[in-house]
Amino acid sequence: MKTRLSAILIFLGPALFIMTVFIIIPIVLSLLISVTDFNVYAIFDWKNAEFVGFKNFIDLFSDVIFWKALFNTFYALVVALPLTIIFSLLFALLLNRSATHFKSFFRLSLYLPSITNTVAIAVVWAWLLNPRYGLLNWFLGLFGIAGQNWLSDPKWAMPSIIALVVWKAIGPNMLLFLAGLQNIPDFLYEAAELDGANRWKQFLHVTVPSLRPQLLFVSVMLVIGYLQLFEEPYMLTKGGPLNSTISIVLYLYRQGFYQFNFGYASAVAVVLFGIILTLTAIQMRLRKYQE
Amino acid sequence: MKKLVISILLILFAISIYGTTLKIWAMGEEAKTLPVIIQEFEKENPGVKVEIQALPWSNAFEKLLTGVAGRQLPDVIQMGTTWMPSFSAMGAFQDLGAYIKNSEIISEEKFFPGSWSTCVYRGKVYGIPWYVDTRVLFYRTDLLAEVGYTEAPRNWDELYDAAKKLAERPEMYGLTFQTNEIQEFIPFVWQNGATVIDENNKPGVDTPEFMEALDYFARFFEEDIVPKAGSGNIFQDFASGFVPMFFTGPWMVSMIHEQTPQIDGKWAVALMPEKITRTSFMGGSNWVISKTSKNKELAWKFLEFMSRPETQFQWYQLLKALPAVKEVWNYKELKSDPFTSVFGEQLKDAKATPNIAEWEKIESIVESVLEKRVLGKITTDEAIKEMTQKISKVLK
Repeated sequence: MKTRLSAILIFLGPALFIMTVFIIIPIVLSLLISVTDFNVYAIFDWKNAEFVGFKNFIDLFSDVIFWKALFNTFYALVVALPLTIIFSLLFALLLNRSATHFKSFFRLSLYLPSITNTVAIAVVWAWLLNPRYGLLNWFLGLFGIAGQNWLSDPKWAMPSIIALVVWKAIGPNMLLFLAGLQNIPDFLYEAAELDGANRWKQFLHVTVPSLRPQLLFVSVMLVIGYLQLFEEPYMLTKGGPLNSTISIVLYLYRQGFYQFNFGYASAVAVVLFGIILTLTAIQMRLRKYQE
Repeated sequence: MKKLVISILLILFAISIYGTTLKIWAMGEEAKTLPVIIQEFEKENPGVKVEIQALPWSNAFEKLLTGVAGRQLPDVIQMGTTWMPSFSAMGAFQDLGAYIKNSEIISEEKFFPGSWSTCVYRGKVYGIPWYVDTRVLFYRTDLLAEVGYTEAPRNWDELYDAAKKLAERPEMYGLTFQTNEIQEFIPFVWQNGATVIDENNKPGVDTPEFMEALDYFARFFEEDIVPKAGSGNIFQDFASGFVPMFFTGPWMVSMIHEQTPQIDGKWAVALMPEKITRTSFMGGSNWVISKTSKNKELAWKFLEFMSRPETQFQWYQLLKALPAVKEVWNYKELKSDPFTSVFGEQLKDAKATPNIAEWEKIESIVESVLEKRVLGKITTDEAIKEMTQKISKVLK
């Protein structure tokens, strides 16, 4: 028994150690910090932080910008999630067709955005969306459509960010769907065809149910990812104009790293953690219930 | 043979321990150019090795913050002047009072007052100015001449008038401002004799002078003199005449020469427009010594070395960074340079933002209200009310 335990520890030890140091301890710490007034004076000397109970959480409730950030994040999630799933699935279906040419080329092109550095992407997108020199406005101009100040108009800033986010997320999710599609046995389609099901019926009653595990995985991961929206608005708009693109994580970052309200920022993190946990639990339940 | 190798290695090891290493963190171009100057310092101090770590400006702030929290700071650090209050408040820097008292090279009156003030936090001196910068008006001489200005606009009325006329060209604008950058707005507040927070640390925004400055700034947006979307690429926009005027610092001089040589000779720099004063914003970098440093004496020697007029002049020649030591401005090389001399003149009337730990918060309040005001979401009265209320809460 003893030798088994030590063997387990040897194999799991490194992973457990890294998990503890880089994930578990920081989570516990941020829980602790969220009930203190940890601020600029406490960074060098922790003794300057004081316990304030749930004050940070109570303050959050009346914080207009926090609600704005919450709204923006859910706005991005609600729009981007279905779009990402639809487009990734669509491209996966197209790539799975035996008649499609240049498959590996398309696969690569669709996958590239997700592995390219967001900073580099943001620079290019800022150019594309530039109201004066941008490709997008030039293109719209060809059809006589008036261009917009995409990133500096509060109405259009968030849709622009969402477009970038979706475009970036298509690649890896498309691959997951593609793998799922290739695992669906042909005889299911043959049987459906014999029963007189058309293409659309086949998709609805064979493809979609067979892809259920992928759909669950993709939607859970996307919800978690989109709720943590940060890099894109940080790089493109810094949360502006008029806070129209500020996300929860961006607000947390601003509170922590610009204003040194680490206690308050940790409270935001705890709330976000709670939201993600709840949503994920609901998703898992729903799927279980369906099966 | 083996013994010999081992003993050589041991000797090398011993030397590497006993020879002192001075560790420095510096940013951007500065870090790349510093080694040129440091050779001289190493020559003067035999046995001393200087190690420079370069931090890109974009993530220096976080790196410094982590360094403070983990008590892992080097001996000497370059600090942006606007970061001084927060980091001084953290208590991570050495109080330099005692060193300054015994120094022959460093004393307050040798530096620009606006620059020195960025080093003082709650009465104690935590840094020594290294170089300074200040914002001035960059303008296209040819385009301004077309609307009747053979010289740069000298005061608020002329700036408005010139910009308004330039904005009448189809699809072109008069000048550009960033809506969410306090450094572009606050000079106008100062020029009208107003402040954001007064000397008693109370909000100073509720004054007719501040309101006038806010209205003046906002008028450029309301009348479409300034592109609301900002400038996509300031070099192209300046070269094409899309924005023939803007306010920025000395770093842009060589960048404009490099990026858009086609407009060389068609642009110049000029002092800030005058209202009551022509005050500008003063920034730059300071040197600080970390409290946890074990080589404070040597670190101080380095700060003295960097403050010598000849070192400061050499640094000016290398990077065109503006010397923080006033004496250097008497050198003819600085006086005769058409760009540098304007900056030198402007430095006589340039201020830094208040050195209080709450400044970052106040800054973000002013910026967000300013943005709402210039985009016409709120009135001046509402803006003043919101600023007063939020700033009071921060200062309480």
